[in-house]
Amino acid sequence: MAKYNAMTQEWLDAWKQKIATSKEYKEIAKNWEGSVSIIVNPDPEKGIPEPIYVFTDYWHGDVLDFLICDKAKAESARFVMSGDYTRWKQVAKKEVDSTKALMQGKLKLKGDLTYVVRNIKTVNKVIDLLCEIETIWPDEA
Amino acid sequence: MGYDRDLSFVYFGPTKIVFGAGTSRDVDIEMAGLGCRKALVVTDPGVMKAGLVEGVREALGERCAGVWSDVPQDTGIGVVNSAAAFAREKGVDCVVSVGGGSVIDTGKGICILLMEGGGLENFEGIQLLTRPQTPHIVIPTTAGTGSEVTCMAVILDERKGQKMLIVEYFNAPRIAILDPKMTERLPPLLTASTGMDAMTHAVEALQSLSREPIADGLAMQAIRLLHRDLPVCTENGADLAARGQTQLAATMAGWAFGNAMVGLVHAMAHSIGAIARVPHGIANGILLPHVMAFNRDDAAEGYAMVAEALGVREKGMDEREAAEAAITAIRSFLERIGHPLRLSEVGVTDEDIAKSAALSLSDGAIVNNPRPVLDEEEVIAVYRAAF
Ligand SMILES: [Fe+2]
Repeated sequence: MAKYNAMTQEWLDAWKQKIATSKEYKEIAKNWEGSVSIIVNPDPEKGIPEPIYVFTDYWHGDVLDFLICDKAKAESARFVMSGDYTRWKQVAKKEVDSTKALMQGKLKLKGDLTYVVRNIKTVNKVIDLLCEIETIWPDEA
Repeated sequence: MGYDRDLSFVYFGPTKIVFGAGTSRDVDIEMAGLGCRKALVVTDPGVMKAGLVEGVREALGERCAGVWSDVPQDTGIGVVNSAAAFAREKGVDCVVSVGGGSVIDTGKGICILLMEGGGLENFEGIQLLTRPQTPHIVIPTTAGTGSEVTCMAVILDERKGQKMLIVEYFNAPRIAILDPKMTERLPPLLTASTGMDAMTHAVEALQSLSREPIADGLAMQAIRLLHRDLPVCTENGADLAARGQTQLAATMAGWAFGNAMVGLVHAMAHSIGAIARVPHGIANGILLPHVMAFNRDDAAEGYAMVAEALGVREKGMDEREAAEAAITAIRSFLERIGHPLRLSEVGVTDEDIAKSAALSLSDGAIVNNPRPVLDEEEVIAVYRAAF
């Protein structure tokens, strides 16, 4: 299986492909409306010299844009999640639960938590699918 | 006792507690200790009428820059924005909340706006803030919400007709002054229902998927104190010793659920509150034993601890039997304190149930319920059992 460098456009394309071809996702996410952006805070020691902005967009089981973007675009998303690289890596590897990480202040969320909770299966499925991608993390490369 | 071997959690509880009859008069000393000079007192018309603000205002003397007393039963963005504008005008550097949950959450909202500016609608979210907020001293006038020690606020978004959740470590109250005299004249029904809110916080913390040993310890002690002293308070509200113990219990339960979270009882109580205007404590109290019955198989260990705290776990009982004993004990406790037992008694209709069930599924509290809640029918069945 191909390996992808984390938080690159190729990696996002692979992730999007995984989601777009998942029948299970289509069913679970049939009510989801709206975009989610991920902001990774810089951590030069881990190989992240600048913040990384990722924009992902979902609509009733379909996957729309999955882009590395700029700050303004990221902040335009319906849900904006931000956090340190190490935390994101833990979420992506399912070492920590995303809602728990939010409540404990390890990640930040701008937006309506109740909507996220109502659609928690969708969120978890998206993370599950990310786990299936072989990822090269910058601090492990 | 079963905690995961790889247990990992954050416990957060930075609020200083000042306890004792008459301590609300020490608010000026506490405020000076925070290095603050001008306070806005936030309260509601009921608390004003009960004469509970006067003593606080006197104690503050010149440190009191103004009193905002227009907090409704369920506070909203508009209320907080207006109060913050008033506070800014007065140049305050500290908020003193005197009241129940709605007043305290209003105070929390004002603290954010005084530090960050703008309107509260911009602060919906989790852990967005990056610096300590305006100092907040809370003087509760009920023993129930626990909001005096949590970093959460629930504020109505009037335009969307939806409750907005704000969770911020940087905005936990600095000081809670638990003065039993402030709850002395709370009528029996309100005493019972706010007490059942606290009891529900403790029970739901013990059953939570996020339970952990610190929260469990606090929840157990909260249940013991409520079990012993809440009936004393409903019978004789003037018993300040018992009032004080239930206040401490509510605060401990606040720490417990503020960290371990609540579950299906709260999800259903929030929903029936929004649809049928059932007060929060009453909804919790009525629903608690029914949700416990629903969760029993998935929360036997936590409920066995509830049984222990209620003094009904007998020698030789296994967890399941103890859980059953806990449910029975909660039922008779409700009767003992004169708490309503059925939703139909408090104006809920059949129609309300279906609407509330749908709403419950989208309530954040459901995430930590030990038994996964899969569809509306399950929630409807619990509402019906409590009808
Ligand atoms: Fe509550």
